[in-house]
Amino acid sequence: MSTSAPKKLTIEHLRGSVLPFSLPFEKGKKLMVIYGENGTGKSTICDAFEFLAKGNVGSLDNRGLGKTNRYWHSLGKKPADVSVTLETATATCRATVGKSEVIVNPPEHRPRIEVLRRSQILSLIEAKPAERYAAISRFIDVSGVEASEAFLRELIRDTKSGREVAIARVQENRDAIQQFWEEAGKPGVDPLLWGESESKRDASAFDSEIKAISNLYDAYARLADYPEQTGSAIKNLQEAQNSLDSAQQTIDKYLAGVSADAAEIANILESAKAYLSKHTEPSVCPLCESAEKAHGLTDRVNERIAAFDALHEANANKIKKEQGVHLATQQLEILEKNALQHTVSFNLCCTSNSWPADILLPGTPVPEDIAEWSAWLTSNAHLSAEWKKAETARQDKKQFLSTLGRAIKTCTENTLAQKELDTLLPNLEKALKIAEEERRQFTDATLAGIATEVGRLYEVVHPGEGFNKISLELDPAKRASLEIGASFCGQATPPQAYFSDSHLDTLGLCVFLALTALEKPAETILVLDDVLASVDEPHVERLIKMLYDEAVKFRHCVITTHYRPWKQKLRWGWLQNDQCQFVELTKWTAVNGLTLVRSVPDVERLRLLLAETPPDPQLVCSKAGVILEAALDFLTQLYECSIPRRAGGLYTLGDLLPALDKKLRTSLKVDVLNGADTSGTPVYNTVPLAPYMDELTRIAQARNVFGCHFNELSFDLLDADGLVFGQQVLELMSTLTDGDAGWPRNSKSGSYWATTGETRRLHPLKKPN
Amino acid sequence: MSTPSQVLAKKILARLTAEKLVTDDDAKKLATKMADGKLRPEDWKLAIEKAAEKGAKA
Repeated sequence: MSTSAPKKLTIEHLRGSVLPFSLPFEKGKKLMVIYGENGTGKSTICDAFEFLAKGNVGSLDNRGLGKTNRYWHSLGKKPADVSVTLETATATCRATVGKSEVIVNPPEHRPRIEVLRRSQILSLIEAKPAERYAAISRFIDVSGVEASEAFLRELIRDTKSGREVAIARVQENRDAIQQFWEEAGKPGVDPLLWGESESKRDASAFDSEIKAISNLYDAYARLADYPEQTGSAIKNLQEAQNSLDSAQQTIDKYLAGVSADAAEIANILESAKAYLSKHTEPSVCPLCESAEKAHGLTDRVNERIAAFDALHEANANKIKKEQGVHLATQQLEILEKNALQHTVSFNLCCTSNSWPADILLPGTPVPEDIAEWSAWLTSNAHLSAEWKKAETARQDKKQFLSTLGRAIKTCTENTLAQKELDTLLPNLEKALKIAEEERRQFTDATLAGIATEVGRLYEVVHPGEGFNKISLELDPAKRASLEIGASFCGQATPPQAYFSDSHLDTLGLCVFLALTALEKPAETILVLDDVLASVDEPHVERLIKMLYDEAVKFRHCVITTHYRPWKQKLRWGWLQNDQCQFVELTKWTAVNGLTLVRSVPDVERLRLLLAETPPDPQLVCSKAGVILEAALDFLTQLYECSIPRRAGGLYTLGDLLPALDKKLRTSLKVDVLNGADTSGTPVYNTVPLAPYMDELTRIAQARNVFGCHFNELSFDLLDADGLVFGQQVLELMSTLTDGDAGWPRNSKSGSYWATTGETRRLHPLKKPN
Repeated sequence: MSTPSQVLAKKILARLTAEKLVTDDDAKKLATKMADGKLRPEDWKLAIEKAAEKGAKA
């Protein structure tokens, strides 16, 4: 944002500017006072500033016009014709009316402008507390920090909740450990210490015992079936042997019926059967060629072959039975072999472990004869159940230790978590307390700072009236609610209740100035539109002085007014003028729009008249006479000189000049500031006023002759006589007053009268006796 | 120009640092977050625990 001084504001067809209007800014002056009667276009200039900075024309607001942009342009012009251009020392920025909004180009050079209008002056004072807060919130809006603060509050709430849960869990864990401890017979004195000690035990010891017991149990169980299996195998062998014997007997019976060479005969019979199948009814025996028993030979051969088949069958059966015996014998041998192996395993189980006391073993080893096993197993049958019981006990113990270990671990973790929360929580609460304290202090300090500044400004305008104790307070019971307070007759009260309209106006202006000065004043052009309207005469001068002093804080300050005395006081140089550019608007017309005229102080005008070629003695004497009357009026009042009292209070030079008697004239001296020495001490030239007064007394008649009326006497005088009068008055005024600092009206020194900045020091303070 | 929240956040963090509730490094990192209303519970927790841990070690 730029801080460079404005050079020229050009307004085209906005509101009253029917023709392009330019407002030049004087270099080096930070305050512009625009004087104009009502209807001269002051508000159009303020509108132009607002149009440029905020895209709005505020003077039309609150007039029941609805959307006002259709009235922004001058009559007979279009919205597109409207433009406002601000030239500064470094850039030019132009605002025009777009389709839906004001377009500023270039946007980065859009000036920062704050406008306060007469109609708005009471807005902050009379606003509702919430609206007042909204207006001021940008200076105290710490909602971002408040949101972060709320997160901290949420964390504290959650941490408290988490801590309560942790405490409950720790208690649950302790109860569980207590229960374990009691179940374990309350060993030691502290359940937790016991639990920690127990949970550190090695569970793998149980695993090896459980495994050994399980192996022992299994080895014993494997022995248990052998007596029955062995018995069964023996029985099977016996039965196979019996079947074999029976098959042998059948063979023996068949063998008894056949000869010793039965096998060879059987072969011959098979060959005969084959032959006879081809020669069914031979007449002779093919072997012996005998015909004796040839008949029926085939049948007889078949019968004998059948007798040999039964023997075959018996032989096959015997072979089968022999195989059965062999198989049964093998099974029995395998069984016996396995039994032997399992016996070795069992014995190994018994001997290879160092068994605890609760593990009992058989009193005798496994018998070598399986037939004795049944008795041995029966006598040791109870041991198997004991072993199972011992295994289960160890499983339970292992499980217990595991559960206890988990309980101890959880208890330790929860205790740790609780301790961490115990440490964290106070720190969080302390942090929240600090954040809350700082926020309140910050807000209170900001509001107090604003209130103090408002009070300071107010005191400048209303010194000693006791209205300066202005306060701004946030209502603690309400969010975003701002109360304004003041002191009236020693009582704290809302200013609206007892302050006069004039006092409220001043207060409203002071609030606006204080707030505007808070935010980038060096970048801000301050525009005050007719804000002096209701301020009464005794206060207006102090208000003007306050505005002069405050204006220097801003990038520039523009004040419009129709307060005529201000114009006159500036005209006569009564006001400090060094920072102020005074411009005047003449009557607005529909043809020309706004028209600017230059207001020149009278002393300056006299100087200009004298500088003309040739100078007009009549004009010079007329102007010089009025100025001299003003100077003598000032001096005679300052020194309380005696003057004939007259109705209407109109005094001529003939009344005023003699009122400054010789004693006073001789003592009148003016210290004229003439820079400073090397140490910075002001250097003054002291100029006595008596020579001016004496000479002016001598030639005062020139004013009457030249400057007041048509007078034939002037025909006989030289023009130079009149011009000398004008020159003397100008020199007197140049000595007595300062065009920038005004007239010496300040008696604070106690020994002389001084202008602002003591550029002139008028002696004496009192008329000599 | 700083916003009121930014000014206040710096003040708060300066005090938290002085009270050793937040480390100097974290104070610098957290200022913007705090001013923007984005200093969430986990951020607060981490910062305060870290400062406590640092204090315990010192």
